[in-house]
Amino acid sequence: MTEAIVTVKHGQAGSAPEGWRPHIVALVCNWCSYAGADMAGTTRLEYPANVRMLRFPCTGRMSPLMILRAFEQGADGVLVSGCHPGDCHYVQGNLVARRRFTIFRSLMDFIGIDLKRLHFAWVSAAEGHKWAKVVGEVTAAVQEAGPLPAFEHPEGWDGLDLPAMAGSGPQELEQKQLDAICGNLRKAASEVLSTGRASVVVGYGQGTLAGQTRPVFITDADACDTLVWGQGCRNNLSTYVASELEGRERVAVVAKTCDLGAISGLIREGQIRRDQVLVIGVQCPGVIDGSALATKCLSCSGDPHPICDLVVTVDGVQESCEDPSRAALDTPDARDEQIAYLESLPHGERWKYWQRQFARCLRCYACRAACPMCYCSSCIAEKHRPQWVPTSIDNPGNSTWNIIRAVHLAGRCSGCDECARVCPADIRLDLINRKLALEVEKQYGKVGLDPEEKSALVDFRMEDSEEFIL
Amino acid sequence: MPLADAVPNPYHPSLMRIQDYTDETADVRTLKLQFVDDAEAGEFTGWEPGQFGQFTVFGAGESVFALANAPWRPNGDRDLAPTIECTFRMVGKVTSALRAMSKGQVIGFRGPYGNHFPVDDWKGRHLVFIGGGIGMAALRSAMLDVINRKSEFGDIVILNGARSVADMVYSDEMPSWEQVDGVEVVRTVDPGGETEDWDGQVGLLPNVFEGLGLDPENRIVIACGPPIMLHYLFLSLGKVGYSPEQVVTTLENKMKCGIGHCGRCYVGPFSVCRDGPVVTWAELNQLPEDY
Amino acid sequence: MKSVKGSSWKLTEAQLREWLRGLLEENHVVAPVEEDGVVLFRRIASADDAIVEASGKTRWSPKEFLFPRTEALYRYTFAGGAVQIEDPPVPEKHQVLFAVRSCDASGLVRLDEIFLSGTKDLLYAARRENTSVVTAACAAADPECFCTAVGYSPVGEEGSDVQLVPLDGVWLLRALTDKGQALVGDGGEGWKKATAADGKTLPAIEKKVAGQIDRGPVNQEWSQVLEDGFEHGAWDRLAQHCLGCSVCAYVCPSCSCFDMNHQGNAWCGEQCRSWDACTFPLFTHHASGHNPRATKQQRYRQRVLHKFAFREEGDQPFRCVGCGRCVAQCPAGLDIVNTVAAAVEAMREEGVDAAG
Repeated sequence: MTEAIVTVKHGQAGSAPEGWRPHIVALVCNWCSYAGADMAGTTRLEYPANVRMLRFPCTGRMSPLMILRAFEQGADGVLVSGCHPGDCHYVQGNLVARRRFTIFRSLMDFIGIDLKRLHFAWVSAAEGHKWAKVVGEVTAAVQEAGPLPAFEHPEGWDGLDLPAMAGSGPQELEQKQLDAICGNLRKAASEVLSTGRASVVVGYGQGTLAGQTRPVFITDADACDTLVWGQGCRNNLSTYVASELEGRERVAVVAKTCDLGAISGLIREGQIRRDQVLVIGVQCPGVIDGSALATKCLSCSGDPHPICDLVVTVDGVQESCEDPSRAALDTPDARDEQIAYLESLPHGERWKYWQRQFARCLRCYACRAACPMCYCSSCIAEKHRPQWVPTSIDNPGNSTWNIIRAVHLAGRCSGCDECARVCPADIRLDLINRKLALEVEKQYGKVGLDPEEKSALVDFRMEDSEEFIL
Repeated sequence: MPLADAVPNPYHPSLMRIQDYTDETADVRTLKLQFVDDAEAGEFTGWEPGQFGQFTVFGAGESVFALANAPWRPNGDRDLAPTIECTFRMVGKVTSALRAMSKGQVIGFRGPYGNHFPVDDWKGRHLVFIGGGIGMAALRSAMLDVINRKSEFGDIVILNGARSVADMVYSDEMPSWEQVDGVEVVRTVDPGGETEDWDGQVGLLPNVFEGLGLDPENRIVIACGPPIMLHYLFLSLGKVGYSPEQVVTTLENKMKCGIGHCGRCYVGPFSVCRDGPVVTWAELNQLPEDY
Repeated sequence: MKSVKGSSWKLTEAQLREWLRGLLEENHVVAPVEEDGVVLFRRIASADDAIVEASGKTRWSPKEFLFPRTEALYRYTFAGGAVQIEDPPVPEKHQVLFAVRSCDASGLVRLDEIFLSGTKDLLYAARRENTSVVTAACAAADPECFCTAVGYSPVGEEGSDVQLVPLDGVWLLRALTDKGQALVGDGGEGWKKATAADGKTLPAIEKKVAGQIDRGPVNQEWSQVLEDGFEHGAWDRLAQHCLGCSVCAYVCPSCSCFDMNHQGNAWCGEQCRSWDACTFPLFTHHASGHNPRATKQQRYRQRVLHKFAFREEGDQPFRCVGCGRCVAQCPAGLDIVNTVAAAVEAMREEGVDAAG
C-alpha cells in the first residue's frame, strides 16, 4: 500500500468514474462488532470488501475526531458499530456514545455530508449475518453517494444569501440611562471591593477605538470610575474568572445575560465554585458587532437575570438570590431561521457554503481563546502523539478543527457568540454552535443555568433515541 | 518539476544510514550515521565543534541534536567517509520514534548549522569542560577535538555531572579520555544519585567545580547543561574569579528551521540557530533572560 | 527606496479595469474581493471582481501569496527500504498582487529580510521572483491605521513595482521598478501621460492622512527603553487581558513565524510548514518541559519587543508597519501602540531611559 494517502483526491459527489468503488472505514468495538465480523468470516458469508476495520475497546472510546480523520484521510464513508445498549462490555460506554453519535451525525448533516456516508449500527458477537447485511447496505449507500466531495474552497461559486434575521433586540436606552446604569455599576463595584466581598472586579474599561471597550481588572475601590457601560461591552468576561482567582478568594465579574451560561457552565464543570464568583448582572442595551446589533441580541431583552448576585439597572442596585433552578434562559433565537434555510438546501450546497467558510479559517484559535468553556490546559489541537487535528491550515485541517471544537462544546456552549465575534474571517461559528444546541435540546431537553444539572453529553438514558442506528 | 538551480531547497535533508549505536543510559542513545549517497558524502564539507544538525525521522518529524563526534574535516584524499554521531534523549515524539529505529534504517540530516566553539583561540590554555546530563553531548565534539591534539592545549579537566549513576552519559568512553596525558575526568552525581559502589564525587556541579579549586588564570570554562545549572554555575564561576569572557556555553532553544527564519529560537535579537548556539557568558549577559 | 524613473500615467476607472484585464491574460492576478462580507485578497478570474478603492484595507495582509499559510517543503516516500525525497514544484506563472496598500507592501519587504537573508528560502525566493506588486496609495486612514506614527507612509513606495494613487476620480499610475515598467509597457489605449504636477500631489495626500491618524507616534529611541525595561512590571499589567490567540500575528503584514511538521505516515508524507505565532504557549516549549516564555505576559512582551525593538541597527525601520489590523481585530481590545507608549512611560518614570 504505497499509494500516497496524504494526497488523496476527493471528487465531486455524483461524479464517480467508471468502476469506482468506495473506501469505507469501520470503527468497531472489540467485544461485539469485531467478534460479529469475525463470525461473518468464519461462517463464510459473502459481503463487499470495501471496508477497512479499526478495532476499539468500546464505542465509548470512539471520538468523532476519529470519524473526521477517516474522511479527511480519504474515506468516502464511515461505519461505526458496537454492542447493543445494555450489553456494553464496559456497562455504559455505548450509552454515552449514543448521544455523542446522535449529535455528531446531525452536525455532519448540517455541514453537508450526505448521511448515506455515515452509519451507526449495533452488531453483537453472535450477529455475523447482521454484520454482512449492514456492510452490504452501507457499501451500497456509499456507492450511491459517490466519492466524498473535496475539502476545498469552491472556486467560482457565487455563495449563498442567508435570510435576514428577525428580532428587535433589547429596549433602546438613551445615553442618560446608560450613564445612570454606569454610575450604579461603579458604585456597586466600589462597594464590592471596599467591603471585601471580592478582591478584584473584572469589568469593561475604555477601549482605544470608537465604540470599543477592553477588559479591566480593578482591585482598588477608588478606581472603579474606569468602568464603562454601553454597546461596546462585548467580551464575555467569565473567560478571565478562573485565572483571576489565583491567590484570591473571590472574583467579581460584570456580566450580561448572555455571559451567564458560561459562569454556570464553569461551576457545573468544577472549574470554579459558586462561592468564588460574585456575579454583577447589568441591564444591557445590546452590543454592536461591526455596525449593527449583534445577532444574539436580537432575541434578548437585555434584562439582568435573577441568578446574579447583584443586579444593576437604571434604577439602582439590588441584591438578588432567586432560586437558580427556576432560571432557565428563554431565548427564541434569531439564527434559527438561517439554520432552517441551510437545512432546506441540498447537501452539495451546504458543503460548498461551509467549505468556503472553513477555507478562510486561519487557525488563529481566537474562537478557542475567547470561549469561556474552552479551558483545557492542553487542547486537542495541540496533541501531537498522534496529531489528531492536522496542523496544516487548509480545508481538511480547518474543517476538522472547527467541527471538533463544536462537538466538544455540544451541550456546554453558552451561546455567547464570542467565537463568531472574534473570528477574523467572519466564519459563522454561531450557526454551528446554535445548530448543535438545538439538536441537544430536541433530543435531551434544555439545561438551564442551574450548575447542579448535568450537561447532556455526560449523561444518558436507556431510552435515548436511536432511530438512525442500524 | 525540478528545482530552480540557483537556490537549493534548504529543507531538503541528506539521507543517513544508522551504522551503529550505543545506549548510554536507559533513555539516551548515541547514533553513528553515514551518508547513504556517496556523492553527498563526497561533497560534505564537515563541521566544527559546537555546530548542530536537524535530524529527520520520516513520518515523525525533525529534532535538533549537537554533532557529537570529533569534527570530521574533509582531508585531501577523502578516503575516510564522513561519519556523524549524535547523542539524544528519548523525550518526545520524534526522539521516541528515533529510539525505536534499528541499524541499517535511514533518517534525514540537515546541517551543519550554527556557529562553533572557537577552539583555535583556546590553544595554549587550560580548559575545563563542564557537562550537566545530556549537556555533555554538546561538548563532546570540542572535547574530542582538543583531546586528539592535546599538545596544543594546556590541562584539560572534564567534569561530567549527572542526576544519578544510571543517568551518566559516555561512561564507557571516559576511560579512553583519561588515558591521554594531561586529561583529568571528574565524575559526579547529585546527592542521592550515588550507588553503593560509586567511587566518583557526590554533589551539585557548581559545588563540585568549586571544590576542584582550579585557578582561573589562563583557563577557559566550557559548560553546557540545563538553564538552572548554568545559572548557579555562572554564579560560582564569578565568585571564584572567572571573567565572563573566559566562560563559553552553548544555548539550547526550541528550533525548527535551523536557519534563522521560523522565529522560534530568538532570544531578543539573537537567533540561537543562526547567531549561536555557542556564546560566551559575556555575550549572554547582553541578551534578555528569555531562554 | 529611490524612485525609479519609469513612466507615469493618468487612468480612468475604465482604463484601469482594461489594464487589469490585460494583466489577467498572462499572469495570475491577486486582488481584494468580497466574500461573505469579508474583503480579502484572492486570485481573481475577472477584472470586475477586484475591489480597487481610494482607501480601506483587506481583513488581513496579502503575505500568504508569498508565504502561504501551509505549504509542503518536500515529499518523502518509502520504497523498498529506501527513502525518496521530492522537492515541491517551483511556481512558474507570474503573479501580480494588485491594489496592495503601502503598509502591506512594506510588510512584504520585512518578510524578504527574513526569508532572503542568510540561507535563502527556495520556495519564497521563487515566488518572490515571480511576483510583481501593484500598490494603491490611501487617500484616507481607517480608524485603526497608524502607519505614519511608525515611520511608514500611505504613499510609501517600499516594495512597490507600480503605484496607483487616487486623484479625484482618476488614478495616477507610476511605474517604480523594471518589473513595474514591464507590466505597464508603453501604456494602454487612451492613457494620458501624467504631469509633474500630478506627481507632486503625494506629499499632500500623506499629510492629510497623517492628520487623520490619532495614535502614536512611536519614537525610534523608545526601542532601547523597551529593551532596557525587559524586567519591568509594566509588562505584567499591560497584557493582563490578552487571550493568547494569534489573530494579531496572522493578520499582520510582517509576522513570519512558522512551524514545521511531518504530515503523513510510515509510507509517505510531507514536511509541511504552517503559520505559527509567538503568542501561543507551545511556541517555545521544549520537549523537556522547560518553557522560556511560560506566561502570557512574557509572550506578549516578546511580540512587542520583536515589533518595536531588538533591531540589529538603531535606524532600521520598525517591524510594525502601522496597518492597525491587530488593534482593530484583537478579541480583547489590546492596542500595541498604546501598550508601547504606556510601557515607555512607566519605564521612564522608574529611571529606565536610553539617555540615562
